[in-house]
Amino acid sequence: MDQQQPPPPTPNAPPPSSAVDPPPQPQPQPQIQQQTTPTPPSSTSSTAIPNPNPNPIPKPLPSAIPPPKQPPQPKPALPSHQPRSAAAFSRPWQQHSAQFTHFSSSSPSASSSPSPSLSSQPRGSIALGVPSSHSGPSPPSPSPPQSTPFTGSFGHSFGGTSSSNVSQARPMMRGIGMGSSVGSSSQMRPGGISAQHQQRPLQSSLRPTSSPTSQSPSTQNFQGHGLMRVSAVGSSSSTPSTLQTPQSPNQPWLSSGAQGKPPLPPPWHRPQLRAHIPQQHHSLQTVSQQQHVSSPQVPPQNISSIQQQEHFEQQFSQSRASQSLPHQQQDSRSQGSANQKPSSLAMVQPSTVQVTQNKAAITESDDSGGRILSKRSIHDIVNQIDPSEKLDPEVEDILVDIAEDFVDSITTFGCSLAKHRKSDTLEAKDILLHLERNWNLTLPGFSGDEIKTYKKPITNEVHKERLAVIKKSILAREAANAKHIIGQTAVNTKGNVGKAAANIWVLQMLKYEKYHEALFFF
Amino acid sequence: MSNPSAGASSKSKVGSSQPSETSFKRKRGVFQKDLQHMMYGFGDDPNPLPETVALVEDIVVEYVTDMAHKAQDIGSKRGKLSVDDFLYLIRKDLPKLNRCTELLSMQEELKQARKAFEVDEEKLGTLE
Repeated sequence: MDQQQPPPPTPNAPPPSSAVDPPPQPQPQPQIQQQTTPTPPSSTSSTAIPNPNPNPIPKPLPSAIPPPKQPPQPKPALPSHQPRSAAAFSRPWQQHSAQFTHFSSSSPSASSSPSPSLSSQPRGSIALGVPSSHSGPSPPSPSPPQSTPFTGSFGHSFGGTSSSNVSQARPMMRGIGMGSSVGSSSQMRPGGISAQHQQRPLQSSLRPTSSPTSQSPSTQNFQGHGLMRVSAVGSSSSTPSTLQTPQSPNQPWLSSGAQGKPPLPPPWHRPQLRAHIPQQHHSLQTVSQQQHVSSPQVPPQNISSIQQQEHFEQQFSQSRASQSLPHQQQDSRSQGSANQKPSSLAMVQPSTVQVTQNKAAITESDDSGGRILSKRSIHDIVNQIDPSEKLDPEVEDILVDIAEDFVDSITTFGCSLAKHRKSDTLEAKDILLHLERNWNLTLPGFSGDEIKTYKKPITNEVHKERLAVIKKSILAREAANAKHIIGQTAVNTKGNVGKAAANIWVLQMLKYEKYHEALFFF
Repeated sequence: MSNPSAGASSKSKVGSSQPSETSFKRKRGVFQKDLQHMMYGFGDDPNPLPETVALVEDIVVEYVTDMAHKAQDIGSKRGKLSVDDFLYLIRKDLPKLNRCTELLSMQEELKQARKAFEVDEEKLGTLE
C-alpha cells in the first residue's frame, strides 16, 4: 500500500533518532509499514502491531524506538501486557529486534490474534495482529506507556493494561480494521507523564500517517498538548480549520492538540473512521461520565469535549464539578471503559475540529453509524443525578432517540453555518452559535479568545424622531394639564407638531401620543 | 480591521462594520488569583486545577459580558446606561438583588461619611 512506502521513511527516521516517543505512526498500519523498512531492530518494543488491515504490515517493530527508551515509558504496564500479548500473538514477542524483517509479510499471529492493534511505535504501543510474532513481546511493553494507539476492542486482555496505557497515551488505536473497540478512550486519560512523552510521538506520528491512524495521532497530539487546555482548544479550533473534515468534528479537544497536524486519513479509511467516530464519542461520553481527570492536560479538553457531546446541562455541571474529583477513581473506571471504546476518539483529525457531535457514539465498528448513544451512557447520566433512580426501558429508548436527533440536528445546522462561513471545517464556533441562538444554551470554556462585542440595537431615524416628538408633546401636555387648560394645550401641541411635518403626520403623532401617554401613566 | 490597540473596553466599534474576528483579545487569567480563593471558600481544593479555574473564569466573564449587553439594550431605550438597568436584570434573583441593594446603600453611606469627614476637617482647618 501506499502508506507503507511513504510512512516508513519518515517514521522510521525519527524513532531511531529521537528514540522515543511513540512512534510517529499512530496507527498500527503505518507503524507496521514503517517498521518494516528502516527500523532497526532496536524497536523491539515497537511493536509488533498486529495488522488486521489488509495492508501487509511489514514490521510493526521498527517503530524505531530503541528498547532502552521503551522501558522507562512502558513501566510496569509492560510486563503485564506482555503475557497477554504473548498469548494473543502466540509468538515470542521478545524477539523483535531480530525479527523485524519478518513482519512485513508474515502475519500469522496478526491475523489470528485479535490483540489490540497498538502502534508498534516506540512507545510500546501494543501492536495488534502484528504479523510477526516477534514483535509481540516488545510491542506490548512499549506500547502501554506510550500508548499511542491501542485498540480496546481486542484489548479486553489489555483492559487491565489499558489502565496503565491509558494513563500514558492512548490515543487512537483505532485498530485498523479492528473496528471497534479501540482503546481510544485511553486517549482521554493521558497521564501527566505520558502526556509529555506523547507530545513527541504524537507529532511524529502525525506526519507520517496518512492512513486511518491519523486519527490516533491527533488524539495523541491532543494528549500531548493537553497542557494547553481550554485556551488551546479555542486557539486550535481557529487554526486547524482547514484540516478538519465534517466527519472529524467530533473531537474538539483533538484539534487543539493537532494544530495543523496531519490531515484526514485517506478516503478508504473514511468508512472506518465513521465507525470509529461513534465509538469515540462513546468513549468520550464514558469519560465524561466518569469524569476522569487524570492529568491537567486532559481534563479541560476532555470535559469540554464531553460537554459538547453530551449537551446535557446536568452533565455540564457535573463534569465541572467532577474535575476536582480524585483522578484515581475515574482513571480506573475510565480506562476500563475507554478500552472498550475504540479509538474512535483518536480518529478525529488532529486538526481543528473541536466541536464534535454531541453524544459519544459507541457502537462497535458499525460502518453505517448505528446508534450514537448507548443505554449505558443513559444509565450513567441518570446515576449522576440520582443513584437510586431507575428508568423504564421504553424511557431509555426514547431518551436515546431524542439524544440522537439532537446531535443530528445540531451537527447539521452547524455544518450549514460552517458552509455559510465559507469553510469546509466544522468548528466549535459554529456549534456554539447555533446553540446560543436557537437553543439558548451556553457552553463556557469553548469560546476561545474572542470577546463578544456588543451590537447596538438598530433604531430607525424616523422612529427616533417620533419618539422625541411624543416626549415633547407629552411634557407639554402635562404642563398644560396642570393648569387645566386642555384646549390650549391641544392647540399648542398641534402647533409644535405642525412645524415638524404635515397634518397627516400630526394626526399620527397624536395617536402615538395618546398611546405613550397611556404607557407613561400606567 | 478593528483596532489593533484593543483597548480596555470590550465594546468595539467594529460592530457596525465587520464581524469582529480580531476584536479585542481576551486576556486570560484575569480573575485567576481571586477565583482560586473563592473556589476554596466554596469547597474546592485549596489549590484547584488550573483548568478548573480557567473554566470558572470563562463562566464569569461570559456572565458579566452577557449582563452588560442586556443592560445596554435596556439602557439605550431610556437614553443612558444606569445602575437601575442592572438591578432590573437581576430582579428575579433575590439573593443577588438584595446583595446589590445592600452594597449600593453601603456605598451611599460611605460617601456621606466621607463628605462629613471632609467638611469637619475643613471646619477644623478654618477654625485653627
